[in-house]
Amino acid sequence: MAGIELIDVHKYYQVDGRELKVLDGLCLKVPERQITVVLGQSGCGKTTLLRLVGGLENADSGEIRWEGGRKAAFVFQEPRLMPWLNVWSNVVFGLRCREIVQTRIQDIIHTVGLEGFERAYPSQLSGGMQQRVALARALACEPSFIMMDEPFAALDHFTREQMQRELLRVRETQGSSILFVTHSVDEALVLGDKIVVIEKGRVKAEYPVPLSAKDRNLLDEEMIALKKEIINDLNFAK
Amino acid sequence: MRWCAVSRWKRFGIPMLGILAVLLIWELVCRFGALNAYVLPPPSKVWSSFVKMLVSGELWKDIVISFLRVMKGFLIAFVLAFVLGMARILFPGSASWYEYLVQFFRHVPPLSMIPLLILWCGIGETTKIVIIVLASFFPMYLNIVKGFTGCDQKLIEVGDMFGYSKGKKFFRIILPYASADILVGMRIGLGYSWRAIIGAEMVAASTGLGHLILFAQQMSRTDKVIVGILVIGLVGYATDWLFGLLIAWLLRGSGENGWN
Repeated sequence: MAGIELIDVHKYYQVDGRELKVLDGLCLKVPERQITVVLGQSGCGKTTLLRLVGGLENADSGEIRWEGGRKAAFVFQEPRLMPWLNVWSNVVFGLRCREIVQTRIQDIIHTVGLEGFERAYPSQLSGGMQQRVALARALACEPSFIMMDEPFAALDHFTREQMQRELLRVRETQGSSILFVTHSVDEALVLGDKIVVIEKGRVKAEYPVPLSAKDRNLLDEEMIALKKEIINDLNFAK
Repeated sequence: MRWCAVSRWKRFGIPMLGILAVLLIWELVCRFGALNAYVLPPPSKVWSSFVKMLVSGELWKDIVISFLRVMKGFLIAFVLAFVLGMARILFPGSASWYEYLVQFFRHVPPLSMIPLLILWCGIGETTKIVIIVLASFFPMYLNIVKGFTGCDQKLIEVGDMFGYSKGKKFFRIILPYASADILVGMRIGLGYSWRAIIGAEMVAASTGLGHLILFAQQMSRTDKVIVGILVIGLVGYATDWLFGLLIAWLLRGSGENGWN
């Protein structure tokens, strides 16, 4: 299993000849076997944080320390499916031939509700279905660490709930550590074991969520109070 | 049923009527003596010459020879274009070595190279093949480079996330992504090859369709000249049609869902 620790991470971009500071000494610990949800306004550095952790970009300074194994998967904001491959081939895209176990892949396809669409091509699927294929592709490689960048934003209410349940199940059964970025405070409260609010490239606040995911009710006083606190944090960031 | 008949009529009936109209006007112009039969023989005369040449086997021989030359030149040009295009992706610095040369020769008409090629390679097969390579290389190269360099960076990042090596990313993401551009480039290159072979065979050959046309002109057989031109058009069209079928088969999944 894997957790990570980011220590004083800085990242800058050059935009129109000016230096744009995106992450400014960010320190964060993503514990093993937990879902850490990152909340923040647009442009606060959430996606950059995920890209640095995923190794898609390098930090200008600071350290990203991996604890345990490093079998990672990434679910992007967009599905990023290979248009020339059908659903089945997209799901097994990250696997070597000898790693493909037909029944397990079929189970994953069933779990994300795409049974019967194995031979369909991405452009024959709706946006939500494509995103579910992307989720299945990430799960197929049995990652110990999953990075998710607003993966359920394009899904309808019911599918989103189903996917959230599936994510919690994956955390339970596979013991994966998950770093999850979202705009939705409710989603953060449903999924997160720890909620992190980022502002101007730094961690502004961290909230451990007291109850286990299956015992939570967003209408409980405790959860409502937590939600108010988080929303206050996000509003002050304006 | 009615819709089917209308669709078939639009697809085959109208084009056939267009061709028949041209043939009819051509025949009438010749019958009423508007043009000398030496300048423009009637279609009936062209047809009878075509049948005679077909039966005697003379035409088949020239078609096969020209076809083989086109295929040789086309395949060499494709391999060269593919390797240079692939090198640009796998070794980004490599393009600086040859890109200016490629762009320079792209603007030099292959036919202008014929005197030099005859001097260097003689009047044998090599010259003809080189002319075809020069004519068909550039459209293929440009399309292959466009396909490779235009690959969606977001898809390549998916490969990065799964720990793909450079080679694996090329063969599993960049190459399939570029396949539509590559195949279109090949189709254009094939057409250019057919155009070039005639020029090459007209300059230095004793066989092939280009030679057939030139020889017929020297013998004042305008009917045979027209037969040669028509056969080139038909064979080129048939090759392109077969290639179109191949593209449709290779891109069958992606083609159906409108990816291309």
